[in-house]
Amino acid sequence: MNPKINVRDYEPIVGKSYIEELRMLASRLSGKTILNINSTFIGGGVAEILSRAVPLLNQLGVDVRWQTISGEAQFFKVTKKLHNALHGKVEPISDNEFSLFRETTKNNLNQIDFSGDILFIHDPQPVALIADKRDIGRKWIWRCHIDISHPDSQVWRFLRQFVINYDAAVFSSPNFAQQLPIRQFFAPPSIDPLSDKNRELPPETVDAVLAKYGLNRDKPLILQVSRFDRLKDPLGVIKAFELVRKNFTCQLVLAGGTASDDPESGEVLEEIKERAGGNPDIHILDIPPGTDIDINALQRAAAIIMQKSLSEGFALTISEALWKAKPVVASAVGGIPLQVKNRLTGLLCHSVEGAAYALRQILANPDYGRWLGHNGREHVRQHFLIVREIRDYMLMFLTLEHKEDVIYL
Amino acid sequence: MVIIDWLRVNWLYIGVPVLVFLGVFFISLWLRRLTYNAIERWLKERKTEINTIIVSVTRGPFLHWLLILGAYIALRVSVLEPEWKSLGGKILASIFIAYFGWILIRLTRELIMSLYPNKTKVPARAITVTTSVAQVTIIVIGVLILLELWGAPMTAILIVLIAAIVVAILVFHDIFPSLISGFQLTQRKQIETGDLIRLESGEEGRVEEITWRNSQVKTLEGNIIIIPNTKLMQTTIINFGKQPKVAKEAFQFSTRLHLKELTGLSASNLSQLANSLKEIPDAVVYYHTHSFIEEYQFLTPQPTNDFALWVQDALGYDILAERLACIDTFEFSTVEALRQRIIGVIQDFLAQTSNEREAPSGNEFHFIKSISIVLPTPYAAHNLQEFVSILRRISIGSLYFHIFEARLRLQRVTNDFSLWLEDCLGEKELAEQITRLDPYNYTMENLREIIIQFCEKKL
Repeated sequence: MNPKINVRDYEPIVGKSYIEELRMLASRLSGKTILNINSTFIGGGVAEILSRAVPLLNQLGVDVRWQTISGEAQFFKVTKKLHNALHGKVEPISDNEFSLFRETTKNNLNQIDFSGDILFIHDPQPVALIADKRDIGRKWIWRCHIDISHPDSQVWRFLRQFVINYDAAVFSSPNFAQQLPIRQFFAPPSIDPLSDKNRELPPETVDAVLAKYGLNRDKPLILQVSRFDRLKDPLGVIKAFELVRKNFTCQLVLAGGTASDDPESGEVLEEIKERAGGNPDIHILDIPPGTDIDINALQRAAAIIMQKSLSEGFALTISEALWKAKPVVASAVGGIPLQVKNRLTGLLCHSVEGAAYALRQILANPDYGRWLGHNGREHVRQHFLIVREIRDYMLMFLTLEHKEDVIYL
Repeated sequence: MVIIDWLRVNWLYIGVPVLVFLGVFFISLWLRRLTYNAIERWLKERKTEINTIIVSVTRGPFLHWLLILGAYIALRVSVLEPEWKSLGGKILASIFIAYFGWILIRLTRELIMSLYPNKTKVPARAITVTTSVAQVTIIVIGVLILLELWGAPMTAILIVLIAAIVVAILVFHDIFPSLISGFQLTQRKQIETGDLIRLESGEEGRVEEITWRNSQVKTLEGNIIIIPNTKLMQTTIINFGKQPKVAKEAFQFSTRLHLKELTGLSASNLSQLANSLKEIPDAVVYYHTHSFIEEYQFLTPQPTNDFALWVQDALGYDILAERLACIDTFEFSTVEALRQRIIGVIQDFLAQTSNEREAPSGNEFHFIKSISIVLPTPYAAHNLQEFVSILRRISIGSLYFHIFEARLRLQRVTNDFSLWLEDCLGEKELAEQITRLDPYNYTMENLREIIIQFCEKKL
């Protein structure tokens, strides 16, 4: 948990009336207890969101609690396979592995204190806790943070039997919706404008980070931040940059990291370096984990931020870039079109040539780039900040008892 | 017999003081009549309230003071022992000082009351405190003179008194400036009870009470702000004054938040889109004809709907997209009528199209339902000025609810603002002006500003 977070700090960002409305909703949840259950307190996107959302909701006066399930390493190997299979990757899962999943769930059912009026279950790992709904009672919501638009059918069939017993499910994109007999809500993920990755930085900090990586602002800086993965199409980015550089003075920064659990990342990094071929205007930065301020500073120094992925989940890096009022050029994949409305909050592309064309438009028309960036920031302010996510959650908790389309509270 | 004998021998010792006493008394009485007659003549010409008070309060006691003066002079000319003379003199002087002090206190109170032109607007505590301070000062001075008269050790008393004054100043150091500020506020009539004011901090509210130290302001949200008068004097205040035209009923602002519920339905071509449009609930049609306004509040809206955008982006039907975009949502008073028009436009197009296009994988149209959650806000407007002030600060959700949702989704014929302005405030012209406004052509902030401008012209 982050004790430094204070809901008042968001008032200058989203406005007083926004925070007032949060308080109004919170007051209507008075007396109710919401219990979050996920697989870990530390590491991963869900833990990061909960570590900010839970204290914020508590500050608003909502009794929100957080517990995790426990399991052996073998259990988490199975859940990792389930995760990949939901993403569409073909993962053979044996009956023994499904049994282990059920067995671990059973153990957790005996260990967890289910003292809550609403049980908010995150992702597939604890999804089967619903098996004891008859005994535990109360309202259950399943929050799916992952892309299940093209799930492996065997795995989805297995999970679906649990999901249909929930009172509602929550997905991050309309594409992820499934044919289910329960209510499904759409609540995209969010960024925290006060985190190290997104907070305002003084110019000296930005300059210091640029100096640290041997960069300068002599030429407009085009940046893509992503781990070194072929799905992020780093070679396509270099190709688009080379097309643009024929007519425009600019530099490219590919900032990313190599993940220990991804054996391909080192290989991809080598490919990128080879493809860059010693071009002095292409900078490849292997950034270690935990350097959020460095990423923040690079994004703030950039003239254009790219995300030319071939496949994406929600891609919150787009919201991070837009929040810094930067013009964004990104592929129309995954959750990117929800964040980038083409020609309004950024430019979408479908190919290397399309990406190069979009880069040229912005480099040749800096005012247009600033206009896109401004719109992008406002779009994020309205839809992709943590305060919006906690508001959606409170609304969901409050509407569970109502079936009508217009609810008067 | 003894007494008569004694008087026969000592009649001069008694007679002289009595004669002196009577002489002084009658001469003084004559002088008093001359003086007060002159003053009264002078007052008749000028009618000064202060002098009238002085005359009415001192006229009776003046006679008693003359008696004391006569007695004192008689005592001085008597043949009593010097120590008896001294003692009698001190007693008479003490009576005079006490009596004079009492009259002075009465006079002070009357004069302070007369200084406040309209006592109903002056906090009672302010009068009480001012009077008390003056009375205590008179009493302290009187006691000091009496002590001096009776030969008490003054140095020690003065030190104690100064120390007490210093302590009082330290303890009440903030009271006096507040008191003076409160006095200035009421004297200059800068703000009065009932005024609507805006503070430098942006807070707005109605002045509920002005006390001797603080002023209480009830904000538009219903909270009470207590502001020290000193701060009120130092800050910039916009005073909108009082609003004589009060609405029959207050306008209670609500706000509307919304959730997006996924229906699980999707379409990948025009036929599927048209067929689903026939089946889906109104809340889905409402969502897809209003989501652009809600999603992109900061942009000058393209008065369009999700169907037009999808038909263009995913299917590439530019002409149909234009036809769908041209549907003027403002023309419709029900969602059902709007739905039928959209279906009609799509079916007309389908009738002329032989080969239907399919949306690329991942670009299907997903039907989403809008769930509105309506909550009352603490804001209530009782008149036009308050209405404008609240309009400046309510959330976009609130503005959206009263303008868009009220008219089409809740089928209230027109927007909530126009209904209230006409029915409760009698502002028919203003109500019609807002009714005629097509809200689909503005950003939410522009819409807010335009309505405020309309109202301000009426203020």
